[in-house]
Amino acid sequence: MKLRGNETLRERLASAYVLGTLRGGARRRFEGLMHDDAALRRTTHEWNERLGAMAEFVSARQPGAHVWRAIERRLDLRPAARWAAWRSGSLAFWRTLAVASSAVAALLLLNVTAFQDQAPVVNDVATLANEQAQAAVVVTADRERKLLRVRVLAAAPLTPQQVLQLWAVSRGGQPRSLGLLASGSELTLPLPAGAIGDDVAMLAVSLEPAGGSPDPKGPSGPILYKGSWVNVL
Amino acid sequence: MSTATTPSDPAQLRAWLHAAARHDGAAFRSLYDASSPKLYGLALRILGRPELAEEVLQDSFVAIWHGAGSYESGLSAPMTWMTTIVRNKAFDLLRRTRLDVEIDGEPFDATVLEALRDPQATPIESLQMSSDAKALASCMSVLEEKHREVIGMAFFHDLSHTDVARQLVLPIGTVKTWIRRSLARLQDCLKGRGVA
Repeated sequence: MKLRGNETLRERLASAYVLGTLRGGARRRFEGLMHDDAALRRTTHEWNERLGAMAEFVSARQPGAHVWRAIERRLDLRPAARWAAWRSGSLAFWRTLAVASSAVAALLLLNVTAFQDQAPVVNDVATLANEQAQAAVVVTADRERKLLRVRVLAAAPLTPQQVLQLWAVSRGGQPRSLGLLASGSELTLPLPAGAIGDDVAMLAVSLEPAGGSPDPKGPSGPILYKGSWVNVL
Repeated sequence: MSTATTPSDPAQLRAWLHAAARHDGAAFRSLYDASSPKLYGLALRILGRPELAEEVLQDSFVAIWHGAGSYESGLSAPMTWMTTIVRNKAFDLLRRTRLDVEIDGEPFDATVLEALRDPQATPIESLQMSSDAKALASCMSVLEEKHREVIGMAFFHDLSHTDVARQLVLPIGTVKTWIRRSLARLQDCLKGRGVA
């Protein structure tokens, strides 16, 4: 399929992708093309803005009160328990502050501004949770720069002989290692082509011996956290 | 909680999203109160079952909280950003569970449908939705009713051309042509209105 330069075809495929009528193999191929084509991602994004507004054509309905209570519990939002979540979520901010505190105030301002300018573009978010549905790991994908950012929020404690390993599991059930995670930290990993998209059924984190799973085909230890991608374009 | 603001005021939604990105739980609650009826309505429209729609709504707000820091107001309208999350989560659940959802007729709200059919009698401006959605509604009101139905069915039910054709008892070639032409007309119309 010759896509470059064929503006009509690009628009047609992008609109069918957003509408949902582009299916199966064609849909996966289109995602592969988007991976390497920023202009195509932009065209698709524009279509999502155009057609996405149709979602507002539905009748509004009041969800049950238990939905908010569950969200509050999962995110640890209740005032008494908020400090912990807030503190871990603001790790990046404290790091910036710690680096800057030895410098003059003007530099701090500069740092903060520069930090905001370089804010990562996020195209997909996955929240990986334990069996009690508590969020433990947040993974975001920046398709533009082909980076995965992983934030470990509240993982179980590890011994020095243990590591966490992140996997993308395909719909066919094939796991693919995305990298090793250190507990209580943030890290950036390269984003391989098969880590996002329709073919990825879920992301999972397994507990492994130091150095990662000895089995290249998949995890050797228990799966601690799992979750699926949501595309936020 | 404040209820004075209209649920679809994008400036207010944007402000709450930015505050949620700073881990402001109260702002996040306001965002939930203002947007959850529409988002729940969307999940329910797609899934048809309240317990599944509530599960998707819950998962979506967890994703919105974690993703709020990456929301770029210059790139995406706040309501569209959130509805995309809900729609994708709902489709994901559909595909994972291979759930058989009964597709029962019109996907649009009754008042919206009246406005699409006859914007003179029910002005699109009077609808409870964002200005982007109103612009889309104006452009969709110009399409033929059958074409609009095909587009709506594909959008809300994650259907292939074949599925839409089967649902509406139409030849697949007709469905493909209608969708392609309608999308091209919508693009021209929205560009003409200075949207996107």
